[in-house]
Amino acid sequence: MTHFKSLIFTITLVCGALLVAFVGNKTASGTVPQATPTLESSRLSQPPTVVAPNQADNGAQAYWGMCMSCHGDRGQGLTEEWRNAAFPPGIRDCWQSGCHGSDHPANSFELPASGIPALAGPGTLARFSNALELNKHIQTNMPFSRSGSISSKQSWALTAYILKLNNVQTAGLTYSETNSAALPVHDKLNLPESEIPGALILAGVLGLSIFGLVYQYRREPSGSILKPVRPNFFQHLHPARIPALQARLRYTLGAGGLAIFLTFILLVTGLLEMVYYIPTPQQAPISIQTITTLVPYGSLIRNLHFWSAQLLMIVVTIHLLRVVLTGAYSHSRRFNYLLGLGLFALILLLDFSGYMLRWDDGIKWALIVGSNLLKTIPWLGAGLYQFVVGGSSPGAATLTRFFFWHVFGLTLAALLLVGWHAFRVRRDGGLAAPPLQRPRDQVITRFDLVRREVLVMAVCGVLLLLFALFFSAPIGAPFSDTSRLAGDSRAPWFFLWIQVLLPLGDPFIIGVLMPVSVFVVLGLLPYVLPNTKSDELGRWFPAGNRIAQVIAVLIMLTIFILTILGALR
Amino acid sequence: MKLTNSNAAPRFSRRDFLKAATHFMFWSGGLLGLLGLARFFSYKPAPQTPSEFDLGALSAYPPGSRTIRPDIPAVILNSGAGITAISLVCTHLGCTVEDNGAGFSCPCHGSRYDQAGQVIKGPAQQPLKVLRVEIIEGKTARLHLD
Repeated sequence: MTHFKSLIFTITLVCGALLVAFVGNKTASGTVPQATPTLESSRLSQPPTVVAPNQADNGAQAYWGMCMSCHGDRGQGLTEEWRNAAFPPGIRDCWQSGCHGSDHPANSFELPASGIPALAGPGTLARFSNALELNKHIQTNMPFSRSGSISSKQSWALTAYILKLNNVQTAGLTYSETNSAALPVHDKLNLPESEIPGALILAGVLGLSIFGLVYQYRREPSGSILKPVRPNFFQHLHPARIPALQARLRYTLGAGGLAIFLTFILLVTGLLEMVYYIPTPQQAPISIQTITTLVPYGSLIRNLHFWSAQLLMIVVTIHLLRVVLTGAYSHSRRFNYLLGLGLFALILLLDFSGYMLRWDDGIKWALIVGSNLLKTIPWLGAGLYQFVVGGSSPGAATLTRFFFWHVFGLTLAALLLVGWHAFRVRRDGGLAAPPLQRPRDQVITRFDLVRREVLVMAVCGVLLLLFALFFSAPIGAPFSDTSRLAGDSRAPWFFLWIQVLLPLGDPFIIGVLMPVSVFVVLGLLPYVLPNTKSDELGRWFPAGNRIAQVIAVLIMLTIFILTILGALR
Repeated sequence: MKLTNSNAAPRFSRRDFLKAATHFMFWSGGLLGLLGLARFFSYKPAPQTPSEFDLGALSAYPPGSRTIRPDIPAVILNSGAGITAISLVCTHLGCTVEDNGAGFSCPCHGSRYDQAGQVIKGPAQQPLKVLRVEIIEGKTARLHLD
């Protein structure tokens, strides 16, 4: 317990240090003087270089180099006034000077006969609805003579600069594929205040309460059996007392309880995301970019949802391995083990359907490969494909169906199974443990149990909060047929192991039969192989089910190695 | 005078204090979360509907004409003394009123207005809103919803 306490203490200290670091950083950056623009004698000269250039400053340099001669020094277009200001008297009429006619010299190029439009001023950006479209236009059509030659980084810098010329640049933001679909080119937007102080304060407050809990927990070791305290609702969900052997963190790893806690976080953050998420192909990625860029605390909530889902996958895997490696699924608990495996499958489907809801460039290949794998199933394939995709090819109906399954169908099923799974734990006599020898001194009360659970949850919650604060969930530009094919062709990480094996053979055998058979093999373990004897329960690696332990570890190790291989590709 | 039993716990022990502090921290954490939630819900997207409409050339509205623009929705009147506009949004609960020849009637709850937008029959209490029309350079007109 003492080193556990010191761990908690360290976490609290780190929270505090981060808070101080942030506040200090903020005051420091607030005092940096802004470079004042100096008036240049000539309108043709290069814009002054800035010490720490932001995106629009870089855009100003790129604009000067590539765009200014035609579009003007203020984005006014090739006006009479600009021609007179910028070019020597002999070549002022660009269309007739010989430089830009149909027989122009080698170092010159043709100009569009329709004229060169202004980039700044009322109505000039009317054809674009958001910054992403403006960037796409620059990247595909500009410069006129060598369209497509601007690098992605430069075109984003130019986007920022043009928006700055129009006085609609969102300050303090770097334009990119991950936010520009939500940023209009007609209105000046203000970004919400940073989420960091609020979240750090919350993490700090929770960290302090963990500290208080740990301290009390040390001072008050299960001595309150005789205390006339009425259990509250959450305590009532637990048995009045359980054997201390069952409640050891070293035995359970807290994985089952943690999974329920993560499910709860996923429910709450998921409900909040539904406030702003719009499940249509056009709007889905835009609405997600709105959540992450413009909604106060939106990015924190989405990151919490995303990372809880990834963590849940890992936690339930650990839970499954713990149950097999302690032989806890033996005898009457076999059925609950199957319920747990069913939950595992549901979580995989929930993760996959949630991943699809992004509907951005990144999910394209997973969508196509995943739906086509269904087609390979004999007899059922065509029907299943229609059931999942809702048409002959993925489209709006597919997104609606994924949305339905993610927020309602699969969620409802998973919640029912979670309830059943937890109920069966108690019905089967609690967590697996050997028969008690001395019942009096080896029990802990429900108060203690709940306190331990809350402790694990609070530690996990604080870590998750800090993690979600600094690591963003992915989101890309809206999914389009013309988007570059290269993209990210990797499967979501929990299916990487299948993707690695897919090139090796028949897609039905590898993509469908193999993952299903993993579940079948795991499900058969307690029914086919010998079970653990009851006096061996409650500890790791009982001799009674060695074979099952070896099988489960081999399966998980193989999947783990294949996943790493897939991630390194 | 008797001394109090030294074994008896004080009224507010250190343990009680710790417990209270821990509870306080938990509840303030929850409160902070709620404040964040209120901010999360406070996001207001940019308005989608335009607040002004181009009515085009004045010659399209000769004296004595009544032109209904269902997209605004409004009726553009020229009484001879100039162009005026009346909103077609019922002042009761916002349905779009219909032209019934003698005036306007609301399909939702049966409010009726005369040609000038004055209430003839309830439940509406207020007359139809008169909209501001801006004449630009004596040639074209622009309508403002505000």
